[in-house]
Amino acid sequence: MLYGLLSKIDRLVGIKPAKAHCDIPCGIYDPHQAQVAALTVIRMLDLMADLTNAQKTPTLEYHNSISRQIAVKEEHAELVKREVRVIWGDYMKQEHMDKYPELPGLVHKIMQLGSKCRQGVNRETAMELLAAVNRFAEIFWDTKGIATKRVKAPYKPGEEIVYPVL
Amino acid sequence: MLALLKVAGNSLEPDFIEGDFVLVSKIPFFFRPIRPGDVIVFNHVLYQTMIKYVERFEPETGEVFVVGTHPASIDSHIFGPIHLGAILGKVIFHIRKKRV
Repeated sequence: MLYGLLSKIDRLVGIKPAKAHCDIPCGIYDPHQAQVAALTVIRMLDLMADLTNAQKTPTLEYHNSISRQIAVKEEHAELVKREVRVIWGDYMKQEHMDKYPELPGLVHKIMQLGSKCRQGVNRETAMELLAAVNRFAEIFWDTKGIATKRVKAPYKPGEEIVYPVL
Repeated sequence: MLALLKVAGNSLEPDFIEGDFVLVSKIPFFFRPIRPGDVIVFNHVLYQTMIKYVERFEPETGEVFVVGTHPASIDSHIFGPIHLGAILGKVIFHIRKKRV
C-alpha cells in the first residue's frame, strides 16, 4: 500500500533516483585488461615455479611470497572472466554471434579456463587461456573494423598478445 | 534531514532492486558513527547520487569505501573511496517493490 502510494507520487512529481548502477553505459570496451590479466596469470605461475625450484626447504619468506603469488593469480584469473563477461554481456550483439559463430563457445571456454587457472598451477592451461582471450580480442576489434597484429609482449612472460592496429 | 529516493540499477540486488524506495537521513550518524554494513546515499562527481553498502571507514582520513553486492558494481573498486562530506545520509527506511 505504501509502495503504491509512493509510486503514484513518483509518477506525479518524479522522485530523485539513487543510482545502484553496475556498469555505466559509457561505450568504452577494450579486451586489453583481460589480455594483461591472462599474461599476469602466466607470470605468477612462472614466479611460483622459480621460487619452488630454488627453495628446497620452505621458509617463512617462501610461504609469504608463494601466498602472495597465488593470491595475484586468483585475482587475475577472475579478472579475465569479468572483463570478458562485461564485453560479452554489454557489447556483443546477436549480429556478432551470427558473424562469428565460434563466439559463444569461445566465451564459455574462457570462463572454464579462467576457473581452471584459479584451481590449478598448470602453465599450459594458462597459455590456453591467453590464446582464447587473444582470439576474443581479435574478434572484438574485427567487429569495429579494426585490424589486429600479434606481437610478443614487451615484458615478462613475453608471450604473444593481440594489439589493435590504430 | 530526510530525503526520499528511488533505487535505480541492480548493483545492490537482491537486497535493493530497481524501483524500491528508500528514506535517507544523516540523523543516525549523530548517535553512532558510520560503520561497515550501513547502506548510504552519497554524491559522486561523475556518477551523481549513488546508493551503496559501506565496506569500511577510515576515521583518520574521513574516507569511506563503498561496495555493491553485484560483481560488476560501480563502486570504490572503480572510483576509490568517497569522502565523508559527500554522504547524504543512511538508509533508515526501505519500501520494497513487490518481488516476483
